[in-house]
Amino acid sequence: MNERVKKLKQRLYVHKYPLCIEKFRLITKSLEKTEGDPEILRRAKTLANVLDNITVFIEDDELIVGNVASKPMGLEIDHDYGTWSQEEIDALKEEGYTISPEDEEELKTLNHYYKGKSLVSRMGEILFDNERLWPFVQSGMVLPPWKSKGEGSGGGYAQGGMGLGPGLYLMGIDFAKILNDGLYKIIEEAEEELQRVKYIDADSVKKTYFLKSVLITHKAIIRFADRFADLAAEMEQRETNAVRKQELERIAETCRRVPAKPARTFYEAMQSFWFIFLMITPSPTAAAGRFDQYMYPFYKKDIAEGRATDEDVLELLECLRIKDMQLNRVSGKLNRQKNSGMAKWHNWTIGGVTTEGEDATNELSYLILEAAKDCPTPHHTITVRVHEKTSDDFMLKALEVVKAGVGMPAFIGDKSYINFFVNNGVDLRDARDYIVTGCLDANLPGKSRTASIAMFIVPLVLEITFHNGVEPRSGRQIGLKTGALEDFQTFDDLLEAFKSQLAYFMELNAERDNIELIANQELLPDPVRSSFMVDAIKEGKALLDRTMPFENGAVMNPVGMINVADSLAAIKKLVFEEKTVTMKQLQEALSANWSGEEFEEIRKMCLEAPKYGNDDDYADLIAGDLYKFWAETTATFATALGGKHLPTAISITAHGPGGEMTGATPDGRYAGEVLADGTMSPMRGMDSGGPTAIIKSAVKIDQDPYQATLLNMKFHPSALESREDLLKLSSLIKTYFKFSGKHIQFNIVDRATLLDAQAHPEKHRDLVVRVAGYSAYFIQLGRAVQEEIIGRAEHDLQGVAN
Amino acid sequence: MTNLSAVEGMIFNVQHYCIHDGPGIRTTVFMKGCPLRCLWCQNPESHSMCHQIFFTAEKCAGCGKCIPACPIGAIHIQDGKAVTNRNLCQSCGVCTTVCLHEARNMMGTRVSAGEVFNKIEQDKIFYEESGGGATLSGGEPLFQSEFAASVLSLCKKAGIHTALETSGYARWDILQLVLPYVDLLLFDLKHMDPSEHQKCTGVSNELIKDNVIRIYHQQKKPVIIRIPVIPGYNDSLENIEATAEFVACKLGASVPVNLLPFHRLGESKNERMGVQGLLFNSIPPSEQHLKELKEIFVSHGLTVQIGG
Repeated sequence: MNERVKKLKQRLYVHKYPLCIEKFRLITKSLEKTEGDPEILRRAKTLANVLDNITVFIEDDELIVGNVASKPMGLEIDHDYGTWSQEEIDALKEEGYTISPEDEEELKTLNHYYKGKSLVSRMGEILFDNERLWPFVQSGMVLPPWKSKGEGSGGGYAQGGMGLGPGLYLMGIDFAKILNDGLYKIIEEAEEELQRVKYIDADSVKKTYFLKSVLITHKAIIRFADRFADLAAEMEQRETNAVRKQELERIAETCRRVPAKPARTFYEAMQSFWFIFLMITPSPTAAAGRFDQYMYPFYKKDIAEGRATDEDVLELLECLRIKDMQLNRVSGKLNRQKNSGMAKWHNWTIGGVTTEGEDATNELSYLILEAAKDCPTPHHTITVRVHEKTSDDFMLKALEVVKAGVGMPAFIGDKSYINFFVNNGVDLRDARDYIVTGCLDANLPGKSRTASIAMFIVPLVLEITFHNGVEPRSGRQIGLKTGALEDFQTFDDLLEAFKSQLAYFMELNAERDNIELIANQELLPDPVRSSFMVDAIKEGKALLDRTMPFENGAVMNPVGMINVADSLAAIKKLVFEEKTVTMKQLQEALSANWSGEEFEEIRKMCLEAPKYGNDDDYADLIAGDLYKFWAETTATFATALGGKHLPTAISITAHGPGGEMTGATPDGRYAGEVLADGTMSPMRGMDSGGPTAIIKSAVKIDQDPYQATLLNMKFHPSALESREDLLKLSSLIKTYFKFSGKHIQFNIVDRATLLDAQAHPEKHRDLVVRVAGYSAYFIQLGRAVQEEIIGRAEHDLQGVAN
Repeated sequence: MTNLSAVEGMIFNVQHYCIHDGPGIRTTVFMKGCPLRCLWCQNPESHSMCHQIFFTAEKCAGCGKCIPACPIGAIHIQDGKAVTNRNLCQSCGVCTTVCLHEARNMMGTRVSAGEVFNKIEQDKIFYEESGGGATLSGGEPLFQSEFAASVLSLCKKAGIHTALETSGYARWDILQLVLPYVDLLLFDLKHMDPSEHQKCTGVSNELIKDNVIRIYHQQKKPVIIRIPVIPGYNDSLENIEATAEFVACKLGASVPVNLLPFHRLGESKNERMGVQGLLFNSIPPSEQHLKELKEIFVSHGLTVQIGG
């Protein structure tokens, strides 16, 4: 990190994060003024009002400009998913956020405008009266649980970003086109198209509104950039430092040019990128796409013509990391539990194959990794696409960043990701251009988008099956009557009952998804992101009004599937094969949460039954069958956007709150305990064969039908010491992907974790450490050895901490 | 012809994803039984050929479930923990099956070569990609030579690379049984001086030195020399100098050397077996010291790395 980046990075650490209402105020004023206009035009005018009037500033040392909120490190109130109640604001104030008393007062007035107008109230209007759907959304089977008609989905958000939202879409826009063509080109196209519209049907009128809204927003974006050009020019006049004076002059020139016109240099492309990125946020899932691909021509030209060095490029990449760190995000209490901390997934996809199937890695791919190592901020994140021909050098570079302990990059396998698209009818060349959006879900830049992502807590369905369709804690019959426990004569009877219940609830969720999609479509059209999709102007439709070339509008996500697989394996073995426990005894043990001597013994037997993650077919094949059932069933439900539901499998942090709601499970888990993380990871502490056994288990699940899967592994730094160690890890990754694994990421366990494991061994049953090539579960080691390992970890991490 | 798969032996662990026991990703089989008693031994559970009860006091809840389970009444509660009278214990293992807290574990399993091979073969896809394979370790694998030869032979038939981690303390005819199925030897040199070697390990080193020379020159088997660096015991500059000279002159400069710094993993294991460790006191070597020792090998033209 050079001095500039160090100074910029230092400014990220603030005592309190300011909550800002300026954007919310501008939006509300505009909405009040435009009542009666078509929704998309109102939203366009809203954005223009924000971009023309919100406070803009350029901070010292900045090279890439464009503030994300009206105050440094601020978060603007974002009302798309609900407004902020006083109670929620009070909770935030206790958690390190600050708001001025005047703003707090004004917020209440502003909130009034949205009474009954939010996305949630629109959904609640339909859900509340429905006898099937209301108990379903209340159950929390899809997070978070609804409490009352007007209060679902966990309340409001506050985020950085100047765009319209709503944020929770998984999508990638066509950055290459914007950087190379500029916004004027889109404006021109829209103007021409507007003259060509013939008013012969309803769509043509809607198209007019869409095109007009694109014109309003894009012109506003250009004026927004101009405001920075003006500001920089003004600052340049006052600046006395000659170096900074020159920088400000360059900023002014650049903002005058982009994003209106095509970028000509790497620097212009970076600035153009950032302005556009500000327009696709607030969004915790905004994706940069294949950054190393579309930025490469600018890089190459600059290097060839001597305009920039790798050092200059690295500095800019690091400045961009800092910029992304300013895009903070906080949500209401219930969602904070679902996605803890300031979670966001601004994903940069690098590496992989070209559309022709050749290795796409270039010098910029390496520099992006270097920037993450040199400027180790948690965001933006990076995902490395790996294919057969990915070079050892590139794998080593990526693993060195992993070793630095910043939790990135994640690795994904081109083979299974590309298969997902090809098997769904996408042309191979298009499929090869996939990007990662959100945490790990794949999308095609400009050609697909996912707008509804349900986190479905599968173990709740197992509980309900055990109670013949009754939700045990409420006593309500919310599921099907699939038979009392004693009626199941064989394991297959039970499995069949579970699958019927599961399919029933999945269908309810599909309905819920459609209600969500249509509420989004009607209430929150976004002309900006819509215009950056393929053939947007010709189509003349917002992105939820059209069926995309690849249609994946809604995905369904099973959380805790591994707990269900392990549970079923235990039941199969103990109840139906060995007959050492009856279903009735098991259910009593679960109801008692395993307490009592007899029940503790049953728990021991359950724990000793085969578990997923040990390369043991007994449990692995059950897991494989469940995931297959999930994928096939998901695809039978249509979406309101003209496609079918697709399966994905990432739990993010939903296994925490999901576990809290779930009673004891037959895999030996206690009530309330966290569920298995990821979706391909074994339950914590249930694997004893190490990384290769986990991978062997994971490849028994057909992952190709899934839009994403997730496998977490933990390593102690000593497993990544030498170049040889890293090459071995690289071959582990490549083997997984060769056999159609989708994703793997590594946590390098730090000293704090080890200390916590000493204090709370029960929470760290799965923590494996290596001592001179010898592995052991950390909590099983004697105190002296633990101390030695802690000392070593500290030492290992010191080397990279600066 | 004997049925290789049916040959039985005693092992105490099969460890997957071993990355410091030879090239590539390996599966290491830890075999029981060892003729040496190295003071610093990190796997004391490997010494005996018998089953042993491993007891982790931190995990014992003192519930007493194991007391009536023990057929000879060798367990009683002491300071809230279920303590085994090791003089009475016959390692039948019944107590390990009733313990609800994973405080009692059985060390040592009697298995057939076929079963071990199946576990090794499970990771074949990883060997192929990484250039890895199977490693027999211990204990001293040559202590169960027929079993070792059977496992290795099954690996060779399946096209899996094999390595043998050995102290080299075995008669030549024993070695000859096993060597045909070994692709690589990880050969320990613990001390150059015969009487010091005797003190540290319980046996002299003449046989070991002869063996390594014969293996390398006569049998033309690739060898990696592994030297545990135990401060206060074998890390003197003189001994390291002598070791380097032995490797360079008696074997050859192309033989790689690994320095394995001492660590304390063995200590808590002794505790858990209720075994009094041998009188021994050392600390892990400093990085500076390891560098210094490394230089000695380098000055003899040898390729040396720290760690396996």
